[in-house]
Amino acid sequence: MKELEKTKRISIAAVISILVVIIALLTYKRPKHMYAINPQLALEQTISNGSVKLNELNSETIIIDIRNQFEFEKGHIENAINIDASDILIEKNIEVFKALKNDGKKVALYGNNPTEVIAPLMILQQLGYNNIQILSIESSLDQDKLVTTNAEIEKKGENINQFIQASINKVNEILKEKPKPVVKKVPITKKVVPIKKKKKMPIEGGC
Amino acid sequence: MVNRKLVKALKFRYVLLAAVLIILAGGLVLIPKFEKHVGIAPELLLSNAISPERYISTDELADRIINNDPSVLLIDVRDAISYKENTLPNSINIPLENLLNEDFEGYLNQEAYDVILFSNDSFRANQAWIICNRLNYKRLHVLKGGINEWFNTIINPSQPTENMSKTAYDLYSFRKAASMFFGVKYIDQIKKPEPKKVYVAKKVTTTPKVVVPKKKKKKMPIEGGC
Repeated sequence: MKELEKTKRISIAAVISILVVIIALLTYKRPKHMYAINPQLALEQTISNGSVKLNELNSETIIIDIRNQFEFEKGHIENAINIDASDILIEKNIEVFKALKNDGKKVALYGNNPTEVIAPLMILQQLGYNNIQILSIESSLDQDKLVTTNAEIEKKGENINQFIQASINKVNEILKEKPKPVVKKVPITKKVVPIKKKKKMPIEGGC
Repeated sequence: MVNRKLVKALKFRYVLLAAVLIILAGGLVLIPKFEKHVGIAPELLLSNAISPERYISTDELADRIINNDPSVLLIDVRDAISYKENTLPNSINIPLENLLNEDFEGYLNQEAYDVILFSNDSFRANQAWIICNRLNYKRLHVLKGGINEWFNTIINPSQPTENMSKTAYDLYSFRKAASMFFGVKYIDQIKKPEPKKVYVAKKVTTTPKVVVPKKKKKKMPIEGGC
């Protein structure tokens, strides 16, 4: 009888500990949004994911405007949906992205410039929405109409070193061209010298 | 009778407990899903990425370089070819695809320097910044506009027109001085030293004329006393 009591206690303790584990698991709050890829993979995807131009879009692609509602209402690309960049993680909007991904539709994001789109795009990409691309346009409002121009991403500008070298060369050339005025100055200093001699002469004579 | 049933049930008690624990242990299999969930929460990353506080302007950077700020660390995230072609002074090249390479972690994951990422414009640098921000690296900045903006504002500043304000002129004179610091030479800056030489020459001609007669007057009385 005593032994039975002992084993009872052991099994009660075991049951309680299992309960604690189960309760802990149930109360563990899963993060609302989970990254689907690790940083290394995210980096690779970011590099490989190109941008799409306005004239390359087909009618299947869904265009999303990430500017704020005010700007969107002033003017936007035809058929575009407005999702403010700061609201992309709101449940309602995540549902939209999920539905688009499940339907296998391509999505193009645009804002005032391509750089502005990087943040929402990369975050959605890291959450596993790999059907999204940047629409490489620069847009601005003109009299309640959206004016878009194609933007070149990472355009190579002028070479700084070459520019500096060119400016030095230019200056050197000009310096070479103007040796004549320097020669003219020399006789002016020569004139000074005889004046000094003349003034010194009378002093010696006074002694 | 009851006792017997209890004993029968108790026979399996260890087996049951073991089974429950094994099932719970099976839950560990689900954990690899979380392995990919590294870094700060997506919501925080989004708010960090949208905020423009990471940007540093070209003027501010030029000012810090000229003042020999020791805490500035410039990182070029373009490829090695562009880096060789032209870059900012004293910068390190970390091509974007090698960003998470262990060799470079020491440059990015630190708190001693203000790391400034740059590329041709701010596009690639921003991508690098977002990846690093997810890993919670501190003190990272992005050069606004990148090298192209650097060229247009610091190396080759545009001259303000007459109808512009005084601040525009002040900014231009700062940028012009900065560009000269980085090696650019201006034609009008060369002309200035030349007139200076002329002034010096004139001064030479005038000063001895003044000095010499004074000496005469002082020497004369002494000589006369003799």
